[in-house]
Amino acid sequence: MEFEPMEDFDQKLKRSFERWPAPPDLKRRLMENRRRRKERPQWFALPFAVRVAVSLCLLAGVLAALYGGIAANQAEQRRKGEEARQQVLLALRITNHALDHMNRQLAAHNRAHQE
Amino acid sequence: MAHDWQPDYEQLVDEHQSMVFSLALRMTGDRGLAEEIAQDVFLELDKRLGKIESAAHACFWLRRVAISRSADALRRRKVRGMSLWVTIEEDHGVAAEERDSPLGTRLEELLATLPEPQRAALVLRYQEELTPEEIAATLEAPLATVKSNLQRGLKLLRAKAANHLQEYVRGI
Repeated sequence: MEFEPMEDFDQKLKRSFERWPAPPDLKRRLMENRRRRKERPQWFALPFAVRVAVSLCLLAGVLAALYGGIAANQAEQRRKGEEARQQVLLALRITNHALDHMNRQLAAHNRAHQE
Repeated sequence: MAHDWQPDYEQLVDEHQSMVFSLALRMTGDRGLAEEIAQDVFLELDKRLGKIESAAHACFWLRRVAISRSADALRRRKVRGMSLWVTIEEDHGVAAEERDSPLGTRLEELLATLPEPQRAALVLRYQEELTPEEIAATLEAPLATVKSNLQRGLKLLRAKAANHLQEYVRGI
């Protein structure tokens, strides 16, 4: 394979790699894009006080949601605890009633036996 | 540090749009992508305008960001250059005969087949006519790496070009 001299090749590259012209509407579209971006409210373009107020509101919202969640969870736990307590009391009442009944029957049986 | 230079955004776009677009086009080999990159680069410039200290700094910044955005885009889209260059020439309305020689016409296509670091170094060397030191500063790469990329890229491109020329001569 024969190579042309490096200097010639160097020059050829310089001639071949001239800049392409930019598309004719590139600048127009760019300026349009830029204008649209500037019209959009930018967070850092807002006054510092507004940014602080918005941040605090968001923080308060998050904390309220968090507190609400915790409170709801605690209430649910309490409701379940109360339900379990009522069930235990009912079971104790039933047991008590059964024992009373058995006691009465034993007393009656004893009396009959003595007579 | 305060600086006296007052940038004019529109003027910067006028002056450098061809450079940014050409860098992106030669790096990606995709005209549509190159336009997108050029838009992104100039919109980013708009945001950073306050930090640009001089016209030379603006030019340096634009080159650096154009190359880095093109490399990012290439990595994202894994563009295979060779097949896309056909589209570029058709779309761009630059007929093959307008270039100085058959070899010259194909050099751009052959460039797109080089590895990305070598392509970046060669584009900055021959399109922007930067010195290896300036290329190293633009690419934020060690000078030795840039010199090596330039040498390897040039050697590879020359070999490919010679090969292509032989095929062309055989075809006549």
